[in-house]
Amino acid sequence: MTDTTTTTLAQSVVPMAQELFTAMIDGEPGLLLPAEALDEPFPDPLYAWVDIVVGPAVSRTLVVTARETADRLARSLLAMEDDEPVSLEDVQDALGEVANVVGGNLKAMLPEGATLTLPVVAQVAPSALRPVDHEQALIWWGGPILIQLWTSTNGEGL
Amino acid sequence: MRVLVADDSRVMRQIVLRTLRQAGFGDWDIVQAGDGSEALALTLSENPDLVLSDWNMPGLNGIDVLRSLRAAGSAVPFGFVTSEGSPQMRELAASEGALFLIAKPFDADTFESALRPHFR
Repeated sequence: MTDTTTTTLAQSVVPMAQELFTAMIDGEPGLLLPAEALDEPFPDPLYAWVDIVVGPAVSRTLVVTARETADRLARSLLAMEDDEPVSLEDVQDALGEVANVVGGNLKAMLPEGATLTLPVVAQVAPSALRPVDHEQALIWWGGPILIQLWTSTNGEGL
Repeated sequence: MRVLVADDSRVMRQIVLRTLRQAGFGDWDIVQAGDGSEALALTLSENPDLVLSDWNMPGLNGIDVLRSLRAAGSAVPFGFVTSEGSPQMRELAASEGALFLIAKPFDADTFESALRPHFR
């Protein structure tokens, strides 16, 4: 995966995420906004990621947010009331789908033959041996959401 | 009219059901499958009028489900609802006999446009 490809993918993250939130989460545009880099860690974080595999190269789309924001995401996706209890299983499922849709749309921009893994969701970050290639902070209903792209040309280090 | 909705995400199945209602198909009966193998088995046993299937699922993926159905002699109308909408995947879906491919993210208008030409 070239630097140009990574740049192209990075530039697509915000419009892609906004399209997802407008169509399937908020029902209206303008509620998911780009933000400055975050300077505080997420309280009670949840991590969701998918990998796009192109030959030996792997590109990971990682979505991170606080449990409180992930709960709100799940309630919105499931059309639940604001104060309705939501299970961790549904919250993980919902955040995994966010990563899946963003990653799936990024995959469509890559050459034929790329494959997309199933989403993985965890309460700890996936191990990484290399620096992140691109990071985009977003704000949704006051809650920060971070989308990171990681690329390894030989599949190692993710 | 009965439709089988196959997706390994329960959340996404609920969104598909809600979107079907919003698109004017709220009177359809729904059967749900949580993976490709279940989708194949339920389609063959329940004989729905339409299958709406995710592509990327554990075990049998969506295109394998479609191929298996055709190999078993089933001509059930089949459409994909997937996060992967590249031209290559649309071409493959069509070549295997899928009626349409709805790419996520979608809304009620997307469903209306994809389904209305085939189902009234």
